[in-house]
Amino acid sequence: MLLRVENLHVSVGDTPIIQGINLEIKRGEIHAVMGRNGAGKSTLANVVMGHPAYEVTSGSIYYKGQNIADMEVFERARAGMFLSFQYPAAIPGVQVGTFLRKSVASVRGDAPSPRAFRQELNEAMKQLDMDKSFLSRYVNDGFSGGEKKRLEILQMLLLQPDLALLDETDSGLDIDALRIVAEGINAVSQTTGCLIITHYQRLLDLVKPDVVHVLIDGKIVQSGGPELAIKLEEEGYDWVDALV
Amino acid sequence: MTSYLDATVPSRSEHLWRYTPWSRIHPGKVDSIPEVDVAVIKSKDIQLSTVPFEPLPTTDIARIFLNEVIQETTVVSCDEKEGHIHIHAGGHAVAAHLHFSCSTNSSIVVHLHGEPDWFGLALTGDTNSNARLSVGIINELSSDSVLVRVDDWDVHRDARFELATLSMGGIRNKSDIRSTLAGTNASLKQFIAVHGHGARHDDHHIEIHHKQPHTTSHLMLNAACDDRSHSIGTGALTIDDIAQHTDAGQVFRNLLLSPTSRAEAIPELEVQANEVSAAHGAASAPINQEQMHYLMSRGLSNEEATSMIVEGFLVDSFSGLHSEHVRDTMQTRLTVHLECQLIG
Repeated sequence: MLLRVENLHVSVGDTPIIQGINLEIKRGEIHAVMGRNGAGKSTLANVVMGHPAYEVTSGSIYYKGQNIADMEVFERARAGMFLSFQYPAAIPGVQVGTFLRKSVASVRGDAPSPRAFRQELNEAMKQLDMDKSFLSRYVNDGFSGGEKKRLEILQMLLLQPDLALLDETDSGLDIDALRIVAEGINAVSQTTGCLIITHYQRLLDLVKPDVVHVLIDGKIVQSGGPELAIKLEEEGYDWVDALV
Repeated sequence: MTSYLDATVPSRSEHLWRYTPWSRIHPGKVDSIPEVDVAVIKSKDIQLSTVPFEPLPTTDIARIFLNEVIQETTVVSCDEKEGHIHIHAGGHAVAAHLHFSCSTNSSIVVHLHGEPDWFGLALTGDTNSNARLSVGIINELSSDSVLVRVDDWDVHRDARFELATLSMGGIRNKSDIRSTLAGTNASLKQFIAVHGHGARHDDHHIEIHHKQPHTTSHLMLNAACDDRSHSIGTGALTIDDIAQHTDAGQVFRNLLLSPTSRAEAIPELEVQANEVSAAHGAASAPINQEQMHYLMSRGLSNEEATSMIVEGFLVDSFSGLHSEHVRDTMQTRLTVHLECQLIG
């Protein structure tokens, strides 16, 4: 088992956000989490990645069989976890190329040769239809929503994570960009466990989930196959409320 | 010429000496003039010549003191040149005066090296009509040196002058940098990046004087302060009554990396013309935790993430530099400095 979440409760300050989530993801599986705004979807992704603003009040998260409660964020990244941020931070003054090279060296524990890295980078950027001028821009500084999401997926391709947490990666993308990003996700999904947080069926038309979970008020209230996402798209969340 | 021994030591009530009293940066007892050696100045790609020292304007105690101890002027030939000047300072006390006179286009980086107890540096220059001059100053003095720097720059009609400073070395630094926009349509861009670490005390006073109409000036000072370091940035922007249609801006930004670091940013304006655009801003903030989380989620440790944010913050202060030579040199030296700090 790649990721096992057991009876997870999470608070921000005095406010409980997640109230007893159980979840298991195996390598090669794609899980989608859907739910209304404020249901706790992004909190789930952030707490798995170890964001210090969130407090795990009870329950456990196991990654590759190990309880990761004491692992720092960078240790989780080096262990193969990756979070594609809903709102990636801008780092003015830091060029994308420099950032990617250092990030890859940190996660792999060994810096690839400049030539090998350049080749790898060129292939990944070509796959995502990204211009090389991206590399000399400052990280996420002045980027459009779509450019930010492409940079997140570029990082995922380069870092080759074992577990990818994708927080609304489809938001802000036009149809062509969505297709390119979906191809990027599909390229790693054979060997990676994926947790995709989304509001829309349109991404799941392109990236087929194995399991769809519905999150309401910090709890998974329904899980099913891809047909569950279609039903939510057609009928909304009112029928799910009746299940709570 | 005013004699140093006859001059009055300024009190801390004077704006210029409020944060760094003259007694703290004098090379000995404040009522004495110690023996001061000549710094070694070399360049492989810039022609240098030595002439008798022309005294600096005696507007303040530091210039009056340097007039007593500087023995010669090194004239920098700025003739379509791009290159480096290395000033090596050693021993108890050394001093140097560099004068730039540019009538074409030149980009020159001055590197300050060595382990002097005290280093007095005077920089003067003219960017003549229609000329383009970019000068970078990199302070890499040893961690226990004191630097007293005074600058007097004139920018003439239709000239463009860029002055960038990367301040990383020494234990105490007082820089008094004065520029005059002396001709119509003259332009000045000034960038200062300060890395405070250990117990560094780094005081930059920047005076910009618009004397003619249609002149522009832009000042950006970014200071990242760690440990017990203290950065001070004081600006004095003066726009004369005839300097109509002046466009001037000053921005001071401080990044505080530890609870014991300190930073002051005090821009001041004196505007006598009525058709001008003059803006100033100052901000101090701790490191952004969302930036830290983002970088750490990409495998960077706390120290590596902090170093990258500091580098980006300081590099950002040079992003407006037109001269790639100056900008790339500053960035490379900053990267090397921060990587050395990271390794310890």
